[in-house]
Amino acid sequence: MGLLDRLSFKKRRALVIGLDGVPFSLLNELSAKGRLPNWAKLVESGSFKRMNSIHPCVSSVAWATYMTGRNPGKHNIYGFVDRYPPSMEVFIPTSRDMAGQTLWEILSRAGKRVVVINVPLTYPPREVNGILISGFLCTNIDKIAYPKEMAGVLKEMGYRIDVDAWQARNSLDRFLEDLHLTLDKRIEATLHFLEKEEWDFFQLHIMETDRLNHFLWGLWEERDAQYGPEFLAYYQKIDGILGRISAMLDRDTRLIILSDHGFCGMKKEVFLNQWLQREGWLKFREENPKSVKDIHQESKAYSLIPGRIYVNLAGRESSGSVCFPDEYERVRDEMKDALLGMRDPDSGERIIERVFKREELYHGPHYKDGPDLVAIPRNGYDLKGNLDKKELTYKGPLVGMHTYDDAFLYLKDGEINRKDNQFEVMDVMPTILKLMGINSPEDLDGEALL
Amino acid sequence: MKRGFTVWFTGLSCSGKTTVSQGVAEELRKRGFKVEVLDGDVVRTNLSKGLGFSREDRDTNIKRIGFVCKLLSRNGAVAIGAAISPYRATRDYNRREIGDFVEVYCRCPLEVCIERDVKGLYKKALAGEIPNYTGISDPYEEPLNPEVVLETDKETKEESISKVIRKLEELHYIQPAKVPEYSGEEEEKIQKRLADLGYL
Repeated sequence: MGLLDRLSFKKRRALVIGLDGVPFSLLNELSAKGRLPNWAKLVESGSFKRMNSIHPCVSSVAWATYMTGRNPGKHNIYGFVDRYPPSMEVFIPTSRDMAGQTLWEILSRAGKRVVVINVPLTYPPREVNGILISGFLCTNIDKIAYPKEMAGVLKEMGYRIDVDAWQARNSLDRFLEDLHLTLDKRIEATLHFLEKEEWDFFQLHIMETDRLNHFLWGLWEERDAQYGPEFLAYYQKIDGILGRISAMLDRDTRLIILSDHGFCGMKKEVFLNQWLQREGWLKFREENPKSVKDIHQESKAYSLIPGRIYVNLAGRESSGSVCFPDEYERVRDEMKDALLGMRDPDSGERIIERVFKREELYHGPHYKDGPDLVAIPRNGYDLKGNLDKKELTYKGPLVGMHTYDDAFLYLKDGEINRKDNQFEVMDVMPTILKLMGINSPEDLDGEALL
Repeated sequence: MKRGFTVWFTGLSCSGKTTVSQGVAEELRKRGFKVEVLDGDVVRTNLSKGLGFSREDRDTNIKRIGFVCKLLSRNGAVAIGAAISPYRATRDYNRREIGDFVEVYCRCPLEVCIERDVKGLYKKALAGEIPNYTGISDPYEEPLNPEVVLETDKETKEESISKVIRKLEELHYIQPAKVPEYSGEEEEKIQKRLADLGYL
């Protein structure tokens, strides 16, 4: 590297905008119709590709994969809930459970100043050289930030951690009002830190798009007269934000925009634990089980959302009875076949697209903490882990669900050197490090896309 | 099957072996382990009934306890030995025999043990009524490389228990316990938030 290159690297900054759950295909569609003028302009001056997420594709796993550049077998985050096999306690994984240095921790150690806002799984906030405002796993704004004092700034501006999604079940209007207000406050905070703070790396995460999609996607697809336009208006508001922020950046600041997964309409929720009971794989000690703690020793397996299946393994689960390795392998093989044969009781359609064994997806020191099988549903069927449901499927207020192969990555003034769907969310972190002239740690699973 | 192992508590009489070993056993049971405690005082009423306190009899007693610990450990249980086990060579013999062996030294000054004298035996030994009493009329050989050293005159019972548990976590015999991230009220809020989104 020549002296000039080194000097220019020194100045290089990056701004990343995460748009949770925004599909590549939706941006393409809206953009083609001329609905997203700022986005269209950005696409003209950059590289925009369709990206694969990670299995299981939920935000906590996908963003942990993004921020560590490693697979779940290394970062140890497999979902929004997990269980501790020796006691079968169920818990909500947080940043303390996530192994490995994050992108902003690596940058901090390299002397870069960072500002990170609202990325999932950053709660409780870990130390950085700069400011980190954690995301929706935080319930108390006094605990949201590193350094702590930043909470005062946020409170003063009426910052909102997340929307109240329950409202969507009662009044979509109130939900939308909340969604707008939450986004406005997020942007107010972003502009404040963009202007007032020195930074080399800035990341804004917009969670609201995922929330919108969960409750309005179906209405948008059906061209609902009232909420279809509301859905579009929200995306146009996001478009305005992208335009405003990108206009603030100087020539030395690279703009990266990405989503963590795609979205599609949801026909039904499917309760895998109910299916496991019906098929004789799962039994409970209680009539109305409250958690997986109540599973009977004779059970062969149980499931956690979404589509994660754990064998009730002797020596691991406190209730375990399946012996490793012969019976374990037999149970996995039989269950895989059974899952692939599972049908919608109403339409007769197949529900499961594919079933992975854990060794096909994960590797690393936390590989054994992962699910023994991961079931990938066909689009339209969302796999749930509830224990209290008596029915196999259900159609409720949630009308959108995540997809694996329809996330996106955008890089301004550069070329992503892969074709659509030839790369994954874990490749973004090494790409950003390369853009900023920082060496990647050796044990990353992702590869730079430049 | 879980990997079994032996935790061996050694130290003077009244140095806290029984108290801490029972606390450790309780914690390990909570974490789903099958645990047996072989306490020196109890063992001498059955497995080693009739044995005295000569060097030979003491060695036999400790080796018997070690033998049972070995059987339990190799079948996936946690065996906890809690006996004065004054001679280094015999403890090391058990370590070699068992393999997965974690030695916990309950260090406590003799004066403090004498003051505690729960069983009234120090008083008798000092009066010359009990021969070969460890610390008074028989030697205690301190461990040279124990995995854990407890200072039971300075630490609370809880601190000592947690020192042992932390070492077992560090040595990967047990997984670290989940420390709750949220207070009760916060936990309720976050569960509701995730449930409202259909994530729970």
